Amino acid sequence: MSPANPLLEWLIGWARAVRFAGLAIATAMSPSAYRPETRDVALKQIYFTAWQILPGFALFSTLFSLVVIVISVNTARDFGLEQYALELILRALVLELIPLVTALFVALRSGAAIATEIGLMKATGELERMQAAGGDPLEREFVPRVAAAAVSVFSLTVMSCAVAVALAYTVMYGASSDGFDDFTRVVALVFGPAALGGFVVKCVVFGALVAVIPIAAGLHASTRLKSVPVVVLDGMVRLFFALGAVELFALAVKYI
Amino acid sequence: MDIEAPVTQVPKHLQFRVALLLAVTLVIAVGFVVYALYARGVFQAVQRLTLVADNAEGVSVRMDLTFAGFPIGTVRRITLNDAGKARIEIDVPHDDAKWLRTSSVFTIERGLVGGAKIRAYSGNLQDPPLPDGAVRPVLRGDTAEEVPQLVATARGILENMERLTGTGGSVQATLANLQTLSERMAGRHGMLGAVLGSDEQAAKVLGTIERANTLLASLERASTRLDTLLANTDRRVLGDGGVVDETRKVVVQAEALLGDVRGSLKKLDAVLADAQSVGSSAKAATADLGQLRAEVDESVRKIARLVEEINRKWPFQRESEITLP
Repeated sequence: MSPANPLLEWLIGWARAVRFAGLAIATAMSPSAYRPETRDVALKQIYFTAWQILPGFALFSTLFSLVVIVISVNTARDFGLEQYALELILRALVLELIPLVTALFVALRSGAAIATEIGLMKATGELERMQAAGGDPLEREFVPRVAAAAVSVFSLTVMSCAVAVALAYTVMYGASSDGFDDFTRVVALVFGPAALGGFVVKCVVFGALVAVIPIAAGLHASTRLKSVPVVVLDGMVRLFFALGAVELFALAVKYI
Repeated sequence: MDIEAPVTQVPKHLQFRVALLLAVTLVIAVGFVVYALYARGVFQAVQRLTLVADNAEGVSVRMDLTFAGFPIGTVRRITLNDAGKARIEIDVPHDDAKWLRTSSVFTIERGLVGGAKIRAYSGNLQDPPLPDGAVRPVLRGDTAEEVPQLVATARGILENMERLTGTGGSVQATLANLQTLSERMAGRHGMLGAVLGSDEQAAKVLGTIERANTLLASLERASTRLDTLLANTDRRVLGDGGVVDETRKVVVQAEALLGDVRGSLKKLDAVLADAQSVGSSAKAATADLGQLRAEVDESVRKIARLVEEINRKWPFQRESEITLP
């Protein structure tokens, strides 16, 4: 492995990630991927990625949403544009910020762990042993993790958004049902079929990326343990870059 | 192997916990989708209202139609018809359709901030309700469109103001004149100086007034003398020994004279009677006639003199001269 051209290396890294994503999608399509072993891997991954971090993440997400909502509502009130505050909150916080923050949170918590785990499996030769034993690591280890990460990110995002919507209502109208009609009108304005569909697709893509890029990076590790930190670092940088790119793309599609 | 330790801690009831997480997620997601569909009026019976506008700028899909500030309808579609007018199709839920009547008026208003607002006004809620699929024209009021015009007008006004108040402008010139005027008013000749423009002119006017005063005083004296003169004249004409008095005396004399004349004529009558009755002693009579004739001639001359004297003394005779003393 010659450190000849950093740009070429960088591009080759992306190509590997894309190739792995394609393989993962193809494998996920095949019925043979759905077996009790893969289901166990997926359940474990969901447990570690979503359930374990749920209390901490819920607290973080609630505080984050509350601060953003209060700032938005108060600023809008100061400018006499209160009627636009709720729409702004739903569009910016619920549809954009929370999915991105959730994906970043999961990337930090699980992406790094996945990259390290796969890197170590590669370095210790576990993957080779698995392949020698006749098992396909892509099908048995990687695809379940990708699917589990996607489900986890989607689940966490949906819960955070539910909390944020409830908080937005409470901050705007207080704990009464008086503002329900007004609120419903704004919800109708913001959450059209395109917005909801885009939201779901974006969450799933975020979740898949959180697993795909670290796994692709981990697979690039050599048999030496020292290579593992390097591939983890590389995978995390690529992951942040990819999340940002997806978010930008989604915004461009929606607003340009 | 010590790295593996935390990873292999598989909790109990893992399946149940993950299933619970996924179930909650699914319930929230489906619930929210249903709520969003409800919010968008999917489960609501609506009637269609089409507004036709010259310009649909600022109108967007999902915008509200408001009545008395309350949203009662939602814009569904905006299209351009064959006549080049914008057709704004609005869904009004049946519950809210009661606010729209056949006499309702619709407006699109656009402020400086925010999008356009479509409003409905129903003057008489007793009118028949607006039917489904009704097509109505919409009136448009656009603040933003008026702004450039307003700015242009305001700029014109400001330029005029600047021209008036700037260096060499009318206002400054007027103020300078006013200052000169007030300085002159405060000067030696006061307001007169201000009105006439300079102290010399004012001094001339004052001199003129002075001379007029002198003239008036001498005129007064002259009129006093004239009064005296008239009094004297009165006295001379009408007083004792005056013209009128003299005239009266002359008239008395004339009367006496006429009495004499009449006596003479009587005598003549008697003489003529004598002459008629006595024709014999003609010569004697002729001698008497000669004397009589002399008397008559004398009387006539007296009269002629008297008349001449009257003519001379009568003050209002046109030809006569009255010499005042």
